[in-house]
Amino acid sequence: MQGTKVVRPFPFFRAGARASQPQLAKPILVLEDVYKFFRPDQPTLRGVNLKVERGEFAFITGPSGAGKSTLLKLLYRELMVDEGRVLFCGRDIGRLTDKSIPFLRRNLGIVFQDFRIIDHWTVFENIAVALEILSMPQRLIRSRVAEALERVGLNGRGDEQTSNLSGGEKQRVAVARAIVPEPALILADEPTGNLDPHLAIDILTLFEEINSTGTTVLFATHDHSLISKRDHRLISIDEGRVVEARQGLKDWPGSGIHTLVG
Amino acid sequence: MEVKSAMTRARRGLREERRLYIVAVSSLAVAFLCLGATLLGVTNLDAAADRWGQSGRITLFLKDDADPQDIAQLRVVLEGLSDVREVTHVTPEQAKASFLEEADVGADLSSLPKEVFPASLEVSLVNGVTRERSESIATRLGQFRAVSDVESYRSWFQKLDDLLWGARMLAAGLALLVMFCVIAVIGNTIRLAVARRRQEIEVMKLCGATNGFVRGPFVLEGMFQGFASALLAVLALLVGYLALHESVDSTLAALTGSRVVFLGVWTWLLLLIGGALIGAIGSALSVRRYLAV
Ligand SMILES: Nc1ncnc2c1ncn2[C@@H]1O[C@H](COP(=O)(O)OP(=O)(O)O)[C@@H](O)[C@H]1O
Ligand SMILES: [Mg+2]
Repeated sequence: MQGTKVVRPFPFFRAGARASQPQLAKPILVLEDVYKFFRPDQPTLRGVNLKVERGEFAFITGPSGAGKSTLLKLLYRELMVDEGRVLFCGRDIGRLTDKSIPFLRRNLGIVFQDFRIIDHWTVFENIAVALEILSMPQRLIRSRVAEALERVGLNGRGDEQTSNLSGGEKQRVAVARAIVPEPALILADEPTGNLDPHLAIDILTLFEEINSTGTTVLFATHDHSLISKRDHRLISIDEGRVVEARQGLKDWPGSGIHTLVG
Repeated sequence: MEVKSAMTRARRGLREERRLYIVAVSSLAVAFLCLGATLLGVTNLDAAADRWGQSGRITLFLKDDADPQDIAQLRVVLEGLSDVREVTHVTPEQAKASFLEEADVGADLSSLPKEVFPASLEVSLVNGVTRERSESIATRLGQFRAVSDVESYRSWFQKLDDLLWGARMLAAGLALLVMFCVIAVIGNTIRLAVARRRQEIEVMKLCGATNGFVRGPFVLEGMFQGFASALLAVLALLVGYLALHESVDSTLAALTGSRVVFLGVWTWLLLLIGGALIGAIGSALSVRRYLAV
């Protein structure tokens, strides 16, 4: 594989490292001609080019099986690109060593469709885990978690058992876990897929509030009704290629919604 | 901070997997108990050998027709030796009497002629005389005219040495076996624990946890299991020792003149530390294998 050649990890993704000024000036995310193959003859992503600026909110859409999750997995290095480059803050994360991947992920907040909440932990514990990883002192963890709970609308509910929460509340806990280390980029993979429509809007609104404080958000969904309610940038994956619209469905280039969500 | 967090999470792990861990710890405690009991045997054999080896004895059997003057001269020579503490003359009558008293046989042996019991000089050596030294003294004394035979208890010591060596080998073999048991049992337990915590491991990894962060608690949990097993075994052994040593002591004292001793401090400390260490190794191996982070 191409990505395994360079052994030296980038200092930016080491413990305690901060992005330098030139790094901050660069787009937060650039994909250059990215290919991902699961079968040799049929790439899931074929030549994807993409640039995401700091503070953007973008939907990633496309029919089921289009490669939305695959694209996000390339970003948090669950998967490696087969061709092309993925630059996060100007760094090629395709070449990160296994040892550096944790430090890359500390700059990301990831939210999934299935919440990935530990049921036998309390709400507090589920959120605090993201800070314990950073070896943060308990006192600081408590105040940061309380703050995150407030942001997701679960003020003072840290001691509750997560198994008693509704789906919408669980997803709020997951969002709190994603934002509590104050990551630069939030990756949400169908975060509303398991929720009722009105709860889906609530969660989308929550992500927009997070975005309004400066955090970049990539929101993958194939839910047309959700996309149509907003004017965010639209990144659509179709047959492995990206088709884009700056302002939601309003200026969609193709022949309507059908090319977009199948 | 890392260690503290790992300990907190290990405590949570121990609480959550307590059923699993109790089974592992109790079976390993039995293994450690076997090892501990063997070590206790070695310790006591060692102590006995030590005591006997220190209180060296030589018995000079005298010829039936020995000249009393030769015997007296021999005594003078013996008492002049710096290695000799005490010399006692045992007459055939005394030898017979003490034999009849000690030998608790059913048959009536009092009719045995006293000629069966030769007269002897019981030589007690001072403490700290080495076995080689007592051997060479015995050889020299054997050359005296009045002496028919010398007993330096050499073959007896040899037997004791052999026994001790055998016991040590047994203990070493058992230690090796217990080590493998601990590694296998704890390794397997940790593998199960890893499988059961798959979800939280995945969450931690997605949040950016390093390998060490994820693995740390499992290693601590394995370490704790090893330590707890060894501790249980040592405690059980101590309870057994305290309950039994008085009754065993009196029998043993009559038999060999020694008392039962418990494991030395270093021995049981080594058991505990070794248990913890091997537990940690077992879980570390398992975690390396089953927790590909
Ligand atoms: N680990 C994998 N191995 C083989 N094929 C995969 C793997 N992950 C995804 N795929 C395939 O890649 C395509 C895109 O999947 P995915 O990214 O999950 O789509 P989406 O999230 O848009 O629904 C699908 O055809 C899927 O079968
Ligand atoms: Mg998907």
